[in-house]
Amino acid sequence: MPEVRLTSNKMIKVEDLQFQYPNSDVKTLKGLSFSIERGEVFGFLGPSGAGKSTAQKVLYKILQGYTGRIEIEGKDLKDWGKDYFSKIGVGFELPNHYLKLTGRENLALFGSFYPNSAIKDIRELFEMVELQDAMDKPVEAYSKGMKMRLNFIRAIQHNPDILFFDEPTSGLDPVNAQKIRNHILDLKANGKTIFVTTHSMHTADELCDRVSFIVDGELRATDSPQTLKDQYGKEEVRVELKSGEIKEFALPSIGENQAFIDFLKSGEVSHIHTLEASLDEVFIQITGQTLHV
Amino acid sequence: MKNIITLSVADFKLIFRDPSLRSFLGLPILLFALVIWLLPYLAQTYPGFEPYISVFMVVAAVENTQMFSFISSMVLIDEKENSVAQVYGVVPLSNSEYLLSRLAIPYLFTVCLNVILFIVQPFYHIGLIENISVSMLVGLIVPVYVIGINSIVKNRMQGMVYIKAFNLIVLAPIAAFFIPGKWEWIFGLLPSHWVFQSIQNLTNGEEVWMNLLIGFVFLMIMFLLLSRHFLKKHFN
Ligand SMILES: Nc1ncnc2c1ncn2[C@@H]1O[C@H](COP(=O)(O)OP(=O)(O)OP(=O)(O)O)[C@@H](O)[C@H]1O
Ligand SMILES: [Mg+2]
Repeated sequence: MPEVRLTSNKMIKVEDLQFQYPNSDVKTLKGLSFSIERGEVFGFLGPSGAGKSTAQKVLYKILQGYTGRIEIEGKDLKDWGKDYFSKIGVGFELPNHYLKLTGRENLALFGSFYPNSAIKDIRELFEMVELQDAMDKPVEAYSKGMKMRLNFIRAIQHNPDILFFDEPTSGLDPVNAQKIRNHILDLKANGKTIFVTTHSMHTADELCDRVSFIVDGELRATDSPQTLKDQYGKEEVRVELKSGEIKEFALPSIGENQAFIDFLKSGEVSHIHTLEASLDEVFIQITGQTLHV
Repeated sequence: MKNIITLSVADFKLIFRDPSLRSFLGLPILLFALVIWLLPYLAQTYPGFEPYISVFMVVAAVENTQMFSFISSMVLIDEKENSVAQVYGVVPLSNSEYLLSRLAIPYLFTVCLNVILFIVQPFYHIGLIENISVSMLVGLIVPVYVIGINSIVKNRMQGMVYIKAFNLIVLAPIAAFFIPGKWEWIFGLLPSHWVFQSIQNLTNGEEVWMNLLIGFVFLMIMFLLLSRHFLKKHFN
């Protein structure tokens, strides 16, 4: 029977990616393999120094000299010319702007390298992250969080298909961090392919369709956050009574579990919670390391 | 073309908003004042001064290059130091477009300054073709200097030190005018020597093309080698 070839839906495909900084004597990336589907939010979750930023820098071609194979839309990364950069948007890990230029001038300067038709309305972008009042102030007068929000809108201003966000919420207060996460979900809803790095399990949990655990330049597990949690947590519910008595019950068909119902009636309930593992706990179980040092 | 203009406008904003860079824009005014007023006065007052006028012209023309050598070096060091350079690495702009858009205006501006300098100086009759040709060579010091500095230094502090050293290196072949005979060829190892010699040819009414050609080839080769090194590290 002839093989049916489906057009691949892989936006990014990475095989055995290895990378070593010229001034370092160990490999920072020791053979990463993963792929990202079109329209997917994919994440690297790992502790500081794991190689998350390095991997992204290789993918957006700031670092050269890797080994292994990288394909973007089926085409070798090395064969992409400068049109690759119209296709991608990069949210850098740290703020990087001209301090003497205003936010608007910074955005317009880097926006000028893309075709005019692609560029989003600059005021709307600033309003999106509530920087409209700071638009015409020099960036040296911005706080760290404001600069990070400027990083975010610079990355998306030319409406790219693929987005790299390196710790998109670092340095942000909880309210603004949540807003950025919501914007990332909006981008996904618009069909964008998104690659985020984070050491926050909340970010990974909330944003990522699939997440890879990365430790010491190696990937240890790749799956959806839910699947990972299901594998390592218990499908049980723990009930605690005011009397201090505690019992655990299996979740499947718990409504018909007479012992569970009887226990609920036997006294006043103080806590009920499922024994689902947090991503943090799964991470420790799989990698033997903690996310936070 | 659009990129060159946008980037140059941004560069000028950066220059005008930074007091330490802005003040350097005054350097050519000072040089023009010296050449138009002070030198003729000195030449008139001290008769022994006359033979040195051409050396002063060399210094003035080279100092004109130091304005943008300094300013553009600092702009690039700054953008590297606070990582804005990375952003240029992820926009659709090729390496040569980047170099052109950062260096074309400083180069052309410097060339214009020297063309004007050679026109307004009151001492020599200089043909326009020779004037423009030599000014185009002198201007090449700017991109070589800027890319050279930025291939070496990592931050503003280092930048200041190396800029002082580079200024000395650029000016060192002046000594050739005071050292008699064969030894002046030692300075031929520095590209600015050939620039100086061609300026002197110009003021002495001599044939300029030989020194011009050597200088051009020398500086272009240096520029190509240095820019390869620079491009490898500037964006990461
Ligand atoms: N320019 C560099 N030269 C040499 N080694 C580097 C360089 N940049 C990073 N490294 C090393 O590579 C390793 C991975 O760094 P990387 O920045 O990719 O980690 P990360 O996972 O992004 O960490 P973080 O969460 O702190 O951002 C670290 O051990 C780091 O010291
Ligand atoms: Mg990082």
